[in-house]
Amino acid sequence: MEQTIIRSEPGPKPRRWLVIFDYLFYLLLLLLAVGLIYYLYYYLSTPLVNSLTGKFAMIIWVPILLQKAGITILISLISVVLATVLGFLGALGRISRFAPLRWLTMVYVEVIRGTPILVQLLCWYFGIAQILSLTLNFDPYAALYSLMTALQSNSLVANLDQATFDAFFWGIIGLSFNYGAYLTEVFRAGILSVDKGQNEAALSLGLNARQTMNRIVLPQALRITLPPFTNYFITLVQDSALLSVLGVTELEQEISALAVTQTASNIKLFVYVLGALYYFVICFALSLLARFLEARFARAY
Amino acid sequence: MDLIQLWLPQFLLGALYTLIYCVVSFPLALLLGLVLSFMKGSRFTWLRTPAVIFIEVFRSTPIITQLFLLYYGVGGLLANYNLSQYDNAWAAGIVCLSLNYAAYEAEVFRAGFLSVDRGQTEAAYSLGLSAGQNFFRIVFPQAIPLMAPPFVNDFIYMLKDSAIVSVISGVELTSVLQLATFVNGSDTIPLYLMALVLYLVMSLPISYIARYFEQRLRAAL
Repeated sequence: MEQTIIRSEPGPKPRRWLVIFDYLFYLLLLLLAVGLIYYLYYYLSTPLVNSLTGKFAMIIWVPILLQKAGITILISLISVVLATVLGFLGALGRISRFAPLRWLTMVYVEVIRGTPILVQLLCWYFGIAQILSLTLNFDPYAALYSLMTALQSNSLVANLDQATFDAFFWGIIGLSFNYGAYLTEVFRAGILSVDKGQNEAALSLGLNARQTMNRIVLPQALRITLPPFTNYFITLVQDSALLSVLGVTELEQEISALAVTQTASNIKLFVYVLGALYYFVICFALSLLARFLEARFARAY
Repeated sequence: MDLIQLWLPQFLLGALYTLIYCVVSFPLALLLGLVLSFMKGSRFTWLRTPAVIFIEVFRSTPIITQLFLLYYGVGGLLANYNLSQYDNAWAAGIVCLSLNYAAYEAEVFRAGFLSVDRGQTEAAYSLGLSAGQNFFRIVFPQAIPLMAPPFVNDFIYMLKDSAIVSVISGVELTSVLQLATFVNGSDTIPLYLMALVLYLVMSLPISYIARYFEQRLRAAL
């Protein structure tokens, strides 16, 4: 049961008159809700840039931000898949028998975990991408176009903007490498937490190393791995907001673009609060899901 | 490598500003986190609910969104009340880092206080100590070594998260890096390496010391 009260009973007698503030608090919440609806109805119905007049004009921002929130979720899903692959490879490298591979992975993890993700994103997009496009002529959009041409469907990518796609590509690569380093530690802790006796029993039953890892160790490691993994997924959704610095048109970029055109400061604050509400809904839902999965997986077999 | 020699003083100044941001924000975050943990563990709904809302909101939104909200949103609002001398990157960065990390520290404080054995509190009450004396003389001193490793880890995270103030034109190591790469369009790899090395020099020794003390603490428990 979740412990919410720090002091234990028996304690000093509770002061009953302070409990009156509980009822006053509910009244205050009701007044705040009524005041918020009044504020939205009467003071924020100013005309927008495209001359939408009338009450509830702010409502046009809701589907605009919703579409960009979908792009944010898409970026996060792609990044988490790549980060899981990198993290799994990194974990296998960290516990490998070959010392150079162990050292290489340790350097990767320590460097990525010791530097800010913003610096890494800037390094990927403004450093490594420029160098690759200058020396190797590697352009992500051109590579994708030639790949889709080979697959006979380049009309799907014909109207993608090159600069936008480049920012998307390098942003996702940067996010994946960053979270791959954190997930390396998570997967390594999960794999090492499985009892060594399981390994020995599997090997004595005649399974080879690959079968031991796939059928015995990894399913048991999933229980330990899942809570930190869901936490890192939530943090990844929040860190995808940093891609707005690279110019990727996702939720944070759209919030800034909508807010910079507003001159009235209370409408500007409203735009920022509305955008933060989108992130809050996404991450809070994910954290409830994470808590549910954690409780579910904490039950042993 | 005269490029490195040319830019190294400014990079070191940026690193100093990073440390200033963190050293100012982290105690504020600890203080506010302590207050939040008291509020969250209270038996009064009117203290518990705002604390829960604060912690959930600040843990579920990105730090860059909070920073933009404080710098552009609240900063624009300050001009209406003739307080626009507080609308600078220093104030916005420190307030944003403190509020964001207070939400995480509140959870660390709560876990720390709950880890102290209940028997200590019961013994304190049976000896006639009041609730305040029990807390500040019995529970809190025993909880401090349990909470120290997560605090050091959070300080290292704050060293890296302080890079965020560069997007609101705050002077920091990342902003010096952006300026340097903008000035030298072609030869940017030594600058990125210098910034990475400076961040590693700031964060790796602290993390190794923290790991060493965490092992000693685990051996002592």
